[in-house]
Amino acid sequence: MITKPIHTRLMYLALFIAALLLPLYVPDDYIFQIVIMSVLYAIATSAMNLIIGFTGQASLAHGAFFGIGAYGVAILTKAGISFWVALPVSALIAALVGVLVGIPALRTRGHYFAIVTLCFGVIMWILAGNWIELTGGHNGIFGIPQPTPVRLPWLGEIEFFSQTAQYYLALGFLLLTLFGLHRLIFSVFGLTFMAIRNNEPLADAVGINTFTTKLIAFVSANFIAALAGGLYASMIGAVSPSAASHMLTFNFLIFVILGGIATLSGAVIGAFAIPIIMEFLQFLGDYRMLFFGALLVVVIIFFPQGLVGGLRRLNQRIAVWRQNKVSE
Amino acid sequence: MKKMKQVALRLLLVLSALSMVCTGAWAAEAVIGFTGPLSGPGAGYGRDNLNGLKMAADDINKAGGITVKGKKYTLKIESYDDMIDPTAAVNNARRLRSRSGARVIYNPVFNTIAPLMQINEQRGSDFLLMAYSSTPKIEAIKNDTTVSIPPPFTAYVQAFSDIAWEKGWRKAAMVVTLGAYGDEWREAFKHYWTKKGGEIVADKPANYYTDTDFSAQLSAALAANPEFLLIGGPSEPTGLVIEQARNLGFKGGFMLVDQAKMDYIADVVFKGDLSTMKDVIGIVRVLNLPSQVIADFTKRYEETYKVHVTFEAALNYSSLFAVAKAMEAAGTVSDPKAIKAAISKVLPQSGDTVPTPYQGILFQKLLVEGSVGVIADGKYQKNYQYIWWAKDENAFNKIKEKMVTSPNVEIRWMPVEGYLQQ
Amino acid sequence: MELFLQQVFNGIMFGSTYAIVALGLTLVMGILNIPNFAHGHLYMLGGYITFFFIGTLGLGFWPSLVLTLIVLGLLGVLMERIVYRPLTDQPHINAFIAAIGALIFLESLALVVWGPQGLRIPNPYPQNFELLGITIGLQRLLVIIGAITLIFGLHVFMKHTILGTTIEAVAQNREGAMLNGINVNRVSAVTFAISSATAAVAASFLSPIFMLSPSMGAILGMKAFIIVILGGMGSIPGAILGGYILGVIEALGGGYISAAYKDVFAFGALIIILTVKPTGIFGKKEA
Repeated sequence: MITKPIHTRLMYLALFIAALLLPLYVPDDYIFQIVIMSVLYAIATSAMNLIIGFTGQASLAHGAFFGIGAYGVAILTKAGISFWVALPVSALIAALVGVLVGIPALRTRGHYFAIVTLCFGVIMWILAGNWIELTGGHNGIFGIPQPTPVRLPWLGEIEFFSQTAQYYLALGFLLLTLFGLHRLIFSVFGLTFMAIRNNEPLADAVGINTFTTKLIAFVSANFIAALAGGLYASMIGAVSPSAASHMLTFNFLIFVILGGIATLSGAVIGAFAIPIIMEFLQFLGDYRMLFFGALLVVVIIFFPQGLVGGLRRLNQRIAVWRQNKVSE
Repeated sequence: MKKMKQVALRLLLVLSALSMVCTGAWAAEAVIGFTGPLSGPGAGYGRDNLNGLKMAADDINKAGGITVKGKKYTLKIESYDDMIDPTAAVNNARRLRSRSGARVIYNPVFNTIAPLMQINEQRGSDFLLMAYSSTPKIEAIKNDTTVSIPPPFTAYVQAFSDIAWEKGWRKAAMVVTLGAYGDEWREAFKHYWTKKGGEIVADKPANYYTDTDFSAQLSAALAANPEFLLIGGPSEPTGLVIEQARNLGFKGGFMLVDQAKMDYIADVVFKGDLSTMKDVIGIVRVLNLPSQVIADFTKRYEETYKVHVTFEAALNYSSLFAVAKAMEAAGTVSDPKAIKAAISKVLPQSGDTVPTPYQGILFQKLLVEGSVGVIADGKYQKNYQYIWWAKDENAFNKIKEKMVTSPNVEIRWMPVEGYLQQ
Repeated sequence: MELFLQQVFNGIMFGSTYAIVALGLTLVMGILNIPNFAHGHLYMLGGYITFFFIGTLGLGFWPSLVLTLIVLGLLGVLMERIVYRPLTDQPHINAFIAAIGALIFLESLALVVWGPQGLRIPNPYPQNFELLGITIGLQRLLVIIGAITLIFGLHVFMKHTILGTTIEAVAQNREGAMLNGINVNRVSAVTFAISSATAAVAASFLSPIFMLSPSMGAILGMKAFIIVILGGMGSIPGAILGGYILGVIEALGGGYISAAYKDVFAFGALIIILTVKPTGIFGKKEA
């Protein structure tokens, strides 16, 4: 396993502390809201990175699984079930659906897999809008209760009404997700994911059960996406088909690719950078999306490895420059 | 370091003194927020809403702004696009509230209204949510700082059905838009029409936002030989549906759901030629209401925004006048609860100042009559105004007395369950 | 029975549109291996350009059609040059992101230039006639005839001209074609030009009976993508057959069963077919 140099570790530690103390220095509700949403998106994006970035299977059903989590929590908590039960149950349902979809879908490869999953995503989106008895139709489900208060031994009862509490809840799940993914990806088993991405026939030849491995990556990604969706439902308080749409998938995809594919930090950076850029561009008014579309093309051409790739390249250049200076 | 601090402190003092002088001498700004679809499929609708608000703010400012506790304010509309995405709508509302200081925020789509109703009562970041949505679902959510603007669509369901019944229409087929609004309309109409004794021979909804051809649904609906078609969604595709139905040989009448505007379809889609529409029941053409204010409003609106006037624009326009007056009456531009409480004191509005005067407010619903227009044999007929919140004849007569009457308009009573008051 | 025929006629008209739009896409995807997700938005732009020529400049239907074809052909070349060529050696997913960027750009462009309201173009052939008890609009018939003519023309071009066979050569073996001195970049440009020009023709034929809106390309683009995959990437007969199948399924499903779920039938059918035949109906076995 690769050990990181000490300054990188220090940087992560500083980031961690900065994240923990964020509610103390966040300037206003508006920025806080964007940060909370970005933390949620970072969870879903990291999961997408597992299947697309590390395993090399372009699943375009990610938004649908996010939606299953969101609708699951909405329906179950509205029925009076505690959030803390509803969330894992919804995620398990998503995982189960993931198995059912994954078994036929993973028989296809490349563009074909992308389109099969996209079709599934669109079908789920249509169902969300039209299965009125279950999903409330296009109006969706509203008035979803906040997570049930938790009683902790030292801190007393914690409620989740304030932005601060919601932030810590989301942050906790993000850290958990990153920790889990880190353990998984840098394990021997995790290496088989990348082996499949790099050369599937070869991976097959050396005795990796490629189908099962792909299925496990797909289902894990869906499980985590549904967790993010469930958190989203309870925090926003209302879900409608837009929470399960393929547009959401495309957003996650943009976060992953522009952040930096197949790096843990890339997915998180993308989930923060893009929404913040979008908000920053609000001053453009009608021309905002016009500019954003062009920006997307330019960035992908000049930073094919995403922002993380760009940073790395910069780092290398500095290193080369310093070396040259020393040798002079 | 110390010096810099001192300089900064002084600068701050000067600035704050300056700003105090300014507010005394010049009018301050009260920001009215708007978040809604300004791009994507709902963009046209969102812009109609926003234009009405912009024009109202301009008119109020031109007349000298508002005076709250002796202090002059001008209104400023600040708008952001949310593309009907709940996350974006919440972001925009937070931004409007904490960055721009908006205490009144407008939103025109139920999908984004519902999440906004989750945050508009939070202490320290509360705002008055002006919700433009005709679904009665809004009334199901308890919220002290929300006002809903248009009449409930159920009022139109009943009014349209009554007129259709009087015309002798019995067999209906529905080709209504898919989506939350269309689904509710179909459900409500089915319920009311069959209770009346009418018959629904086909129900073939279509997606008015993404489809451009309706012949599959129309052929299926027409095969059941209906006397009239209930159709509608956004106005442009609704015009297309009328054209395609006539092309398929349909001779009967049309009933338009309230989202589809007779104005737009008659004036823009068919360029004023009513022969294709022939027999239609729907929301009245704004200009057909006998009022100088409306004629003037329409003319200025269409000159300024280069789009056809709609009821959305008119209702939003009038509602901002009510909010502005309520701010004056409440003596505050920053307390949402006080502003909302004061709205009832400034109503009813006079028909001489706004195009669609509100008669009152009931819990959180602004009260304005439902205006119905009829086209028969290719000509505009008499219009109807339905009072839907009067509990009994007495209450109805009291409201009717205050309204402007004209031979071109018949005022009727049509109680709608869930909205009745004395 | 009349109703059934009416639905089938509608389905065939739609299928014709789908077929020509998918045809353009399958060329780009099969030959250049570019997932051009913005293809539907080129179609949308074609509609607006037609509107510009007919509605704004007041030209006739046929000259407008030809002009739109030329403008979109040039735009296709431009798009290939600016957006996709710099990404030739990158993973496909990057080209996909670029395509999303391009489609956001095109949709916003239409919104800024022409506004959100649906626009109409006067129908040059508004006549209707009855046949076998069903009503047929002349312009609708023209859509079908136009599509078939275009398909036939494209077939002749691909099989009987040097440029056409060159394109096929690149499709079959890119490296081999390069070794034989074929300028692959030029082939890319030509393919893109043909691809966007066919989308433009579809838009020109349809715009008089439909309504133009900035978001009209999104769903069609996605359907074209699905048809291409269903037929097998790069397969011309696959795209044509897939287009007509989808058109008829939609018309019958939408007319008889449920309009709300009509896309579910079409997309569901695709999932089922691909699980049986993972590379599409006419797809090559994987290399």
